[in-house]
Amino acid sequence: MGVTLNFSVILTEIIFILISSFIFLVDKFVKNKNYAFYITLMTLISASYLILFIPFGEFTYAYKADFYSSTLKLFLIGGALLISLISYNYLQYYTNLNSGEYYGFLLFSMVGAFLMLSGMDLVTIYLALELMSFPVYFLIALNYAYNRSSLEGALKYFIVGSLGSVFILVGLGIVYYFAGTFVLQEIFQNLAQNLYFKELLIGFIFILVGFSIKLSLVPFHMWAPDAYEGAPVPVTSFIASIVKFAVIATLVKIILIGFNPLKVEIGEVLIPIILASILIGNVMAIKQDNIIRMLAYSSIAHAGYAGLGLISADYIGYSFTVFYMLIYLITVIGTFGVLVFLANFKKELLHIPNMASLCKKTPFVSLLILILMFSLAGVPPTAGFIAKFYVFMSLVKTKYVWVALIAILFAVIGAYPYLRVLKVVYMDKQEFEFNFKYDFTFLIPVCITALLVIIIGIYPKPWTDMIYKTMYFYISSLFYSS
Amino acid sequence: MEFLLNNLLSWILWFPLIGILIILFTDRKNESFIKWISLITIIVDCILSLYLVVNFDFSKTGFQFIEKKRWIDFINSYYFLGVDGVSILFIPLSTLTTLFCILISWNSIKELVKEFYLALLFTNIAMVGTFCALDLVVFYIFWEAILIPMYLIIGIWGGPRRIYSTIKFFLYTFFGSVFMLIGIIYLYIKFGTFDYTILVNQKYPFLVESFLFLAFAIAFAIKVPMWPVHTWLPDAHTEAPTAGSVILAGILIKLGGYGFIRFAIPMFPQAALYFSKLFLVLSVIAIIYAGLVCLVEEDLKRLIAYSSVSHMGFVTLGIFSFNPIAMKGAILQMINHGIVTGALFMCVGIVYDRTHSRAISYYGGLATSMPIYAAFFMVFTLASIGLPGTNGFIGEFLILLGAFLSNKIMVVFGATGVIIGAAYMLWLYQRVFFQELNPNVAEMPPLKINELAALILPTILVFWIGLYPNLFLNYMTTSVQNLLMNLK
Repeated sequence: MGVTLNFSVILTEIIFILISSFIFLVDKFVKNKNYAFYITLMTLISASYLILFIPFGEFTYAYKADFYSSTLKLFLIGGALLISLISYNYLQYYTNLNSGEYYGFLLFSMVGAFLMLSGMDLVTIYLALELMSFPVYFLIALNYAYNRSSLEGALKYFIVGSLGSVFILVGLGIVYYFAGTFVLQEIFQNLAQNLYFKELLIGFIFILVGFSIKLSLVPFHMWAPDAYEGAPVPVTSFIASIVKFAVIATLVKIILIGFNPLKVEIGEVLIPIILASILIGNVMAIKQDNIIRMLAYSSIAHAGYAGLGLISADYIGYSFTVFYMLIYLITVIGTFGVLVFLANFKKELLHIPNMASLCKKTPFVSLLILILMFSLAGVPPTAGFIAKFYVFMSLVKTKYVWVALIAILFAVIGAYPYLRVLKVVYMDKQEFEFNFKYDFTFLIPVCITALLVIIIGIYPKPWTDMIYKTMYFYISSLFYSS
Repeated sequence: MEFLLNNLLSWILWFPLIGILIILFTDRKNESFIKWISLITIIVDCILSLYLVVNFDFSKTGFQFIEKKRWIDFINSYYFLGVDGVSILFIPLSTLTTLFCILISWNSIKELVKEFYLALLFTNIAMVGTFCALDLVVFYIFWEAILIPMYLIIGIWGGPRRIYSTIKFFLYTFFGSVFMLIGIIYLYIKFGTFDYTILVNQKYPFLVESFLFLAFAIAFAIKVPMWPVHTWLPDAHTEAPTAGSVILAGILIKLGGYGFIRFAIPMFPQAALYFSKLFLVLSVIAIIYAGLVCLVEEDLKRLIAYSSVSHMGFVTLGIFSFNPIAMKGAILQMINHGIVTGALFMCVGIVYDRTHSRAISYYGGLATSMPIYAAFFMVFTLASIGLPGTNGFIGEFLILLGAFLSNKIMVVFGATGVIIGAAYMLWLYQRVFFQELNPNVAEMPPLKINELAALILPTILVFWIGLYPNLFLNYMTTSVQNLLMNLK
């Protein structure tokens, strides 16, 4: 097998890197800072075109554009488009954030996410993970102009993230020592011959720790609230949606292709982590007064729910994990879009008790909050319910009914924080001044996400089919061709 | 009419959506337009549901007006609607209740009017959907979806302790439902379908059946509410606005009883028989305990709320007697209770709008200042007690008669509930309407046209069911017999 250098396959990433470098270069000389937004928008749209129409292929062993990665990349691009719209809206009011650097870092981080989704060996995935994370550290610290504590959040995230990298590297070392390779499919073949089963499991657990840090699963979640709070609001949505989605999709891929024979053991290892995440995320969210901190804890819990599909050790469960994360991506982008709107016109409104009688001032925004919060709480007929329903179903299908029962009870606790937001918005009363205007960059992302939440909730078929079939074709193509 | 009859249930179910869409794009300042649109929507929906009842063939046992379309292929779930004798009467009851709610809150809701009518119409969709869904996922979605508008209705337009009540209500019912969700998922994993008509004929090992029955029963028992888990109901009923109380009393707590009859018992008959003693005891406790609480209650709305617990105790007593007469009585009693208690809550709402007080001691001698109102209240009080000639009598009598055939001791205890019921209702009536005229209520404005309209219809139904129940019982006869035949 010769090494193929098919540059057209990685054209998307090349374009992203070139454009973001270009933004960094010219940023100093351009007066009107909005240019970066338009360039980003065009790049993202052209990237989706490229992903759709360039045939699949490999670039060396390390990179493979295939059905799975391309589909998920399209979702990421959709999310990134919405986030850049929200960011544009945010940067109109927070002009001290340097918008050139902002979009540049955003694109750089996207490159990392793309490489990670396409990476076929562990080193590439590790490097891509770092490439995705580093711009995010900068993006959080960018908020220093407005929020001194953002430096704390960024540093915390950086240090914990570095710790995660160390764990991944140790895991890589172990895996390489016993398997003699980083390429996922070769690891699979190694495992299939039943060599070094336990040793590779330990190696994988180290890697898993590194990924859990990015997913903010429970013993490694302490960075999340501070980083979320410190970051500019759209960046928070980026961390909560795109980063998590890419990480969990990659994790699914690593398990599916590389460590498939170990998946049952991996599921067992994950049970305490996942349940603790759901419990602690939900319980800690109850008392938070800052809505961003609340959403940070809720994102811990939601990462846990998504992880439930991993416990089931079944590719249907895995596809539901990805589906859950997709729904979470949609919902959370909408939620943060609303928060950006609130932060733009009155920053105090990010404090939950200050939101009282918001429904009198902006009934439309309150309705959006209503839809999104019920989706996060998982109440039908919203998409959040369908997502939870599927992961629970994948669990009950395997022998882990008790895990599903516990998780479902925690879901009842988890409904409270969102109900509380709604309670304050709709039921508490206060007098306050609130002047605002609706921008298109605000309306488009939130309306799209809220509509999607309802549409997927009522008619989820095309979406689940898409994810499930992607996974199915991917697996069948992988294991029949090789 | 052919296209209407083919998809009649869908029409009834989704027709309020038209109203919702119109209201959604209406300026919120245009309040009377919003009210009229929702009223017209619901009246049309009522007519459609009556058309359904008229076209129902009650000699057939199976489901009628079936609609089955693919919804989610992947999990083999269908958009599957249908009604039989058990559920047919609940559909007009739902639409009528919503109509009452709109009439009674015409003037009393002053803030966030648009949201209120949106929530009411949405509730109507979810209620009708719950009663006619035959696919368990669809059923669960509608069942849970009711929580959203009810949470808002209680929480936004309710009384002083509304927030506590609404969150309690939400978490209680949500807690119950998730067990049912696990049960539903388990059934799917076992049999690969959510289709009720298939699942109802399956056989299970007894242990599995017991667990499944309990999973479903927790959800339904909380909704009914049965005795130890009833505490959300007095709070929610009391703090809800009039419309919220009417929906809660009229439909929401009927969902529990309906769930027992439709899902828990036919699907898991062995377990249901095994646990029936337990549920009978709980029902009797609910009847007596709630009745005694009513005797000491100082709050008008709370008293009627507790009386609901007592009345629903009769319903569950009838259901778990596994006797065709008692079962029919239970279904009829649910409908009676929906009409009568809904009407009583409307009555309380009418005076509450004028005085803003719910304390019984605040009133007195109301019969002199509001004579017509007093007459209506009298009718509903007597119906609630179960005086012969009113619908309450038919329901309670059938339940006690049927239950006596299968379990005598329970009935002896349960029947004391009727006496307690008479005591607290008559005493309530005496304290509020007779006695010396309390100066607080000396000058009361007369009934408005919308209030009158909302009270006349239930009055007609009270006497109609009371004097000629056969018309209503006919609907259930074959279905209930079929249901119980499958049990044995």
